[in-house]
Amino acid sequence: MNTGIPTRETDTGGTSSGRAKPVDLATRETARAGLLLVAPAVIITAVLVLYPLVKGFQTSLESADTAAGGTPHFVGLRNYGDVLSSSTARDAIVHTLLYAALAVTLELVFGLVVAMTLYRVFRGRGIVLAILILPWALPSVLSGVLWRRVLDPDRGLLNSLLEQLHLVSHPHVWLASRGGALVFITLVHVWGVLPLVSLILLAGIQSIPEEVYSASAVDGATPLRQFRHITLPLLRPSIAVALTVGTVWAIKIFDEIYVLNGTALNTRSILMEVYTITFVDADFAHGTALAFLLTALTMLFAAAYAVALRRSTT
Amino acid sequence: MTLSRAARLLRAVTIAVIVLWSMAPVGLGILTSLSTQTDIQAIPVRWLPAHPTLDAYRSLLSGTSAIRAGGTVSESGAFAHAVGNSASLTLISTLAILCVAVSAGYAFARLRFPGRDALFWVIVTTIVVPVFTIVLALFQIMADAQLIDRELGLVLVFLSTTTPLAMWLIYNHVKELPTEPEEAALIDGCTRWQAFWHVVLPQMRSGIAALSAIIVLLVWGEFLIPLLLTSTSATKPVTVLIPEYVGKYTTNYPLLAAAGVLALLPPALIALVLNRHIRGMLSGSS
Repeated sequence: MNTGIPTRETDTGGTSSGRAKPVDLATRETARAGLLLVAPAVIITAVLVLYPLVKGFQTSLESADTAAGGTPHFVGLRNYGDVLSSSTARDAIVHTLLYAALAVTLELVFGLVVAMTLYRVFRGRGIVLAILILPWALPSVLSGVLWRRVLDPDRGLLNSLLEQLHLVSHPHVWLASRGGALVFITLVHVWGVLPLVSLILLAGIQSIPEEVYSASAVDGATPLRQFRHITLPLLRPSIAVALTVGTVWAIKIFDEIYVLNGTALNTRSILMEVYTITFVDADFAHGTALAFLLTALTMLFAAAYAVALRRSTT
Repeated sequence: MTLSRAARLLRAVTIAVIVLWSMAPVGLGILTSLSTQTDIQAIPVRWLPAHPTLDAYRSLLSGTSAIRAGGTVSESGAFAHAVGNSASLTLISTLAILCVAVSAGYAFARLRFPGRDALFWVIVTTIVVPVFTIVLALFQIMADAQLIDRELGLVLVFLSTTTPLAMWLIYNHVKELPTEPEEAALIDGCTRWQAFWHVVLPQMRSGIAALSAIIVLLVWGEFLIPLLLTSTSATKPVTVLIPEYVGKYTTNYPLLAAAGVLALLPPALIALVLNRHIRGMLSGSS
């Protein structure tokens, strides 16, 4: 491939027939420039993404007893079978689907509320929008750490508030029960992702021409009917994008769980289970197998939304 | 369109809720960081510190926090060191990712070359692959190459996990820019390189600003990658250090909150200053 920056001189020197045709020359120069400019990205993708993925897939097909000194040998899909029949991994998959379903529902509902509230011009809108993206910009471990004081069982603000209001008689260990813990971790997660979903929906709403509304207002449509029959249908592409983003982020939930509840079994997500298998039990083969199952799950959702999006736009 | 009074009131209330909700943990963190352990232990709960103090910040930065944090802070100056690690890692990674992503994004959007579409789709498809799957596989390669617990190793992993997304974001930005200035420059006799450097790059200024901000936020805030790939204070960034302050039985909340607030400052400032650019890039193309 090219070694240096192609200039006009090297180009003319290299062409035997195209010298008289400036169009060809420009095309060749462009092609060279293009290849050279994408080369670093292509090399990084090949060496640091695709190669490790192939290596990883290979690991997931090999026996797990390498730590004990044995040489890895090919075992086919056995690791995948092992992982799928382990009850902790199955629980982790169920938890992850619960996190994702709850998170995406909350993000979509509140995202629509935020977008509908903020799409019109008002005084101070710029400041409100700047504050809106703050939770997305802040590291999720740090916000998780800051939420801890709210949920702490002994001196937590939530327990104290509920006790003062006489809603509970004794402090509740919020992260110990499965249901409560899943809900609280999801809320902390939603806190960070809601801005992104809101922005996507906001951009969608703003792209709907104002005339559509004024025409229907003349026909006597109420705001609620306008929302149902104009906004929602026209917003479908943005909703598909928001669903994709929300699902992809929720499926790989980890940071919030780690800082709020560690590797506790009752809140383990798939990624937390992968982490535990690989780095606590030092079992790369099974960990990688589960990680590839997670990848497949993510791609399945992304593909489903892509199909839905294509169907709704054509 | 005008709103009725009731609708306007509803909107004002909703806006207030949005603002409060978005700032709640940060506000609470600031209040906690100004409190003492006595405030935290008080019954009934004390939302505002009785005697606001900067003690937590002082002990965090001077490194005398070992006893107060229940032994979880082992070395003096560990926090300042971690901030330095985060800053250096973020700066180097962002510059590297930016160079690779901007040149590729421009080329994919504007130039015709063999294999363009195929290469583009391969790179973009890898965005969906969860970072962990790649990192897991990279971990063994890194271990073989002795790159664990080294900054270079972390930069390589960030290049791997962030370049495709960054390339996709800037590609969409270039697609929306008018092509006329570049065409005019080419007709005037500029080479592609001159046109790219002197015409297109200046056009991309706001996009590059937004992209840099987004990459900085992603790298600074990343937890899982450094959690796996760092083990000593020589490379540990703030996101890995701070959760270590959470004690097994009791937690020094003022200290934890002070660390959290300080580590939040850089991303918060970037998000507030560049929020218009960031919003544009996120809503337009994610």
